[in-house]
Amino acid sequence: MRVPLGWLATWIDLPVRAELEERLTLAGLEIEEVLRTGPDLSAIRVGHVLERKQHPNADRLSVCSVDLGEAAPATIVCGASNVAAGQKVAVAVPGVTLPDGTKLKKSKIRGEVSEGMICSARELGLGDDPSGILVLDPGANIGAPLSEVLQAGETILDVEITPNRGDWVSMLGMAREVRALFGGTLRMPPSEPVEGTRAASEDVRIAIDDPDGCHLYVGRVVRGVQIGPSPAWLAARLEAAGMRAINVVVDVTNLVLLEYGQPLHAFDLASLRGAEVRVRRAHSGEKLATLDGETRDLAPDDLVIADAERAVAIAGVMGGAETEVRATTRDVLIESAQFAPTRVRRTSKRLGLRSEASYRFERGVDPDGVARAADRAARLLAELAGGTVSRGRVEVRGVAAPRSGEIVLDPSHPNRLLGTKLTTEEIVSLLARVGVQARLDVDNRLRCTVPSWRNDLSIAEDLIEEIARIHGYDAIEPTMPRAALAPVSRPASLALVERTRDQLKAAGLIEIRLMPTLQPADLDALRLPTDDALRRGVRLANPMPGMGPLLCTSLLPGLLRAARRNLSRQVDSVRIFEVGRTFLARGPGELPEEPLRAAALVTRGERASLWEPGSPIPAFFEAKGIAESLLAELGQRAVFQAGSSAPWLHPGASGELRSVDTVLCRLGELHPEVASAFEISAACALLEVDLQALLDRPGEPSRYREVSSYPAVRRDLAVLLASSQPAGEVLDAIRKTAGNMLVSAAIFDRYEGKGIPAGKVSIAFRLVFQRPDRTLLDAEVAKTTERVVDMLGQRFGGELR
Amino acid sequence: MSTGTGQLELLEREACEAIARASSLQALREASARYLGRKGALSALLRGIGELAPDARAAAGEALNRAAARVEAVASERQAALERAQSERSLAEHVLDASLPGAAPPRGHLHPVTLIEREMAEFFHGLGFSVEEGPEVESEWNNFDALRIAADHPSRDSHDTFFVEGGNVLRTHTSPVQIRAMTGRTPPFRFIAPGRVFRVDHSATKSPFFHQIEGFIVDEHTSFGDMKGVLYAFARHLMGPDVRLRFRAHFFPFTEPSAEFDFSWNGGWLEWGGCGMIHPGVLENCGIDSRRFQGFAFGMGMDRSAMQHCGIPNIHLMLDGDVRVLEQVG
Repeated sequence: MRVPLGWLATWIDLPVRAELEERLTLAGLEIEEVLRTGPDLSAIRVGHVLERKQHPNADRLSVCSVDLGEAAPATIVCGASNVAAGQKVAVAVPGVTLPDGTKLKKSKIRGEVSEGMICSARELGLGDDPSGILVLDPGANIGAPLSEVLQAGETILDVEITPNRGDWVSMLGMAREVRALFGGTLRMPPSEPVEGTRAASEDVRIAIDDPDGCHLYVGRVVRGVQIGPSPAWLAARLEAAGMRAINVVVDVTNLVLLEYGQPLHAFDLASLRGAEVRVRRAHSGEKLATLDGETRDLAPDDLVIADAERAVAIAGVMGGAETEVRATTRDVLIESAQFAPTRVRRTSKRLGLRSEASYRFERGVDPDGVARAADRAARLLAELAGGTVSRGRVEVRGVAAPRSGEIVLDPSHPNRLLGTKLTTEEIVSLLARVGVQARLDVDNRLRCTVPSWRNDLSIAEDLIEEIARIHGYDAIEPTMPRAALAPVSRPASLALVERTRDQLKAAGLIEIRLMPTLQPADLDALRLPTDDALRRGVRLANPMPGMGPLLCTSLLPGLLRAARRNLSRQVDSVRIFEVGRTFLARGPGELPEEPLRAAALVTRGERASLWEPGSPIPAFFEAKGIAESLLAELGQRAVFQAGSSAPWLHPGASGELRSVDTVLCRLGELHPEVASAFEISAACALLEVDLQALLDRPGEPSRYREVSSYPAVRRDLAVLLASSQPAGEVLDAIRKTAGNMLVSAAIFDRYEGKGIPAGKVSIAFRLVFQRPDRTLLDAEVAKTTERVVDMLGQRFGGELR
Repeated sequence: MSTGTGQLELLEREACEAIARASSLQALREASARYLGRKGALSALLRGIGELAPDARAAAGEALNRAAARVEAVASERQAALERAQSERSLAEHVLDASLPGAAPPRGHLHPVTLIEREMAEFFHGLGFSVEEGPEVESEWNNFDALRIAADHPSRDSHDTFFVEGGNVLRTHTSPVQIRAMTGRTPPFRFIAPGRVFRVDHSATKSPFFHQIEGFIVDEHTSFGDMKGVLYAFARHLMGPDVRLRFRAHFFPFTEPSAEFDFSWNGGWLEWGGCGMIHPGVLENCGIDSRRFQGFAFGMGMDRSAMQHCGIPNIHLMLDGDVRVLEQVG
């Protein structure tokens, strides 16, 4: 809401602006912006005319010596006849831009140097008086910015109103808040109209057919008004508050809305058929052309104002075009009412129509202010539009809106909840500042009566907030809670996620976080069969434009798109991972499953560092190594199996890490079709770990194995094998054959090419033997090695090189 | 064979000169052997002592031994000098281009939000807060109703909240975790709940997903002052001892009294989060006796703290998976 401070000052004395802003902000009125109307005078300065001399070459000009608070006075040529020594004047010096846009330069006027300009009110944008220079108050400080001396235009606070405080949305509400925070006396504008003799009840009949929708309806009639523009002061107030002046009748209703927060509507009485107003539900199929020129389809839940024949306004939202006040209007019905907030909110939302009125009705109006607003508007119309106010109000009541009534407050409760040490007297006085009357009863409880405008106060805690707010949140001493020691816990899933992140970081990957949505086409791009479990997506009812409508069932599409973005930004080698939830639909209305996953992607760029091996590590083996070390870190014993059922993986370059019958990780190179669907041209491998499955199988803790103090014996065997023979199988066979003397076996070289027969590959195995209890004998190592070599020959056709 | 003094002196001088001339360790070894070795000249003299008159043997032997010792001393000095020279030579020979890059192990990076979440969680861990989690797709009851957010509250509008077909929402804040953590349990509670949340909002400064951390205490006496104390301690942990906080009155349906809080930044204030004393209606919605128990809750975004810590000027820079950004931090 826009709060013009000059206007507010007519309601209550204001403190200096900085203090006002500070306290309002702390009290919950967040100031979003401070606006100004009128010219910016901060660059214009106050000068003191020390001397005035006649210009030597021009009769009508004078040459003045003006003190601007600097070391030497300035010489200024002036054409105004009213300039005189001893005056305080407004001076623009060279470099300054005047409100009308002219930029001042140092100049010579008829041979005399002029170092500035003494300004008139018109030149400063302060009015139309061209008769001479503006003469300032003699007490103005020399050299001060003119904006500190002159109140030109309005300062407007744009204040954010929290949805619970309908009472704040008016000058009256702001003035009450200022009074609560700073004290002072409210100056209410006069509201009693001078009435004519004709009774308003003869002019119009009012009935409420929907008493739950309309709590109170007050009509005032003003006859014989002259429709025309509003006086300048009224138009200026509306404009400062962000409204447009239309005609005097509409402007008065808007002014009163701004003053009291009570929305009003003015009908052209002559166009109300049957001189009748009914507040009723809309008929089904009923239509209404509203003031904004639209035709609205009404629904039976909508509350309307109708005359004898048709709807003429949507209650609390907007008036109708046919009964609006126009140039020919003579007699006016002013409506001031209290409509049910939920009904106004529903209709306004359904129609997508929000107005100043609906905004206030939704938050609730002061039931005790409804009649006053009608009176005030009638009075103003009589004053400004020359009408005669018919005698009396036409008042009809529906079911009264629930009122807070009395709230019982234990005086120790505020201190207990706030951690303060307020006395009962202080509590009573703080409550009084917001209009709550608290009386200490014999049972030592405070009986608190809530003012009619505070529909937000209904329980003790609401009052405690008011006590804290007015006392000042900043006045509450920070303390540390007292609590018994208790063990701290955290979910196992979080611990798993954190270890996974650490391990993937240690593997040189970068963590990313993405919006977990995808397009249905992404699932096709992954080559998922139509009945795949990952097609069980959860669909958003209202995705944003450009956003996938499905919650992700897999982290891979997001990861692949991120990879593509990075590659297109010329990142040479992408190594990324994400840990997060995926979403699989259950029954309708049920919360989905949210299985935890970790996924990583590596692309192979060119050899990037001097120390890297000559040919880069294939992406597949990097992914496999990352997956294996991650699972080892998580204490999982997983067995690698070549090949995977995952359709997005390359059938010839994929594998799975399994624990018993559970697939813990699927990894491999991207299927070429998937790569092309996601527009990834770089060699790339990915892995996806089922963290959810890991949650059900806690890892084995690392256990100590005895370290032998006897020497180890190493044997390297280079074996010629068929190229098609998976070396991992051979390694497994070696481990089984070598017996328990073998402490480790590894493949440390692979070679094909020159010197190796076609169709063959040389694989070098390193076997390490050791016993915990004694030194090995050469003979027994030789025997075991021989057994291994025999086995290699028999089972794999392998021969030593 | 004579063992005259003159002959011994001559031999000693000759030996010392030969040793001094030795220009390598090998030459030194040969020279030493020539004079001091088993078949060397001095040994030969020693063997000749037996042929002397018995009364002359002692004196001759002593003279001989002293001469041998002096020669040995010269030899070992020479040996040390030669070894020193050799070691200097080999040091001088082994020079590599130390300006070449080190063979760095691959360096990974955690996301800025992960880092800040850990730092925040660690602080609350130290104060004895346990961690709670909840699903990201939530029921409207947990996300709204139980928190007293009325059915027609604007935040429940499809302009603000992502709805899932068939009911339920993407949680719009971490507060539903409060409901889950409290329902069916008895205080005292001391929990934090970090997590990802979602709002229908995409602009230059807003992302449709972001991260919050929620914290709350419920027991029989924890007060608004305690809430200020905890948040002050938290702010100082994150931002240093000079940071100041400002609590502004505000409205939330789920707290009463409610506040927003700002921290001091570059001479002004930056909004940080919302907090308040948990509304008795919320406690009752979780089956907790609100006449006996009270407590506070607070929530704040983690993204801006993460951005501030790392100097990232825009949230989209870190939520797009851009490795050029993310490899600079974490």
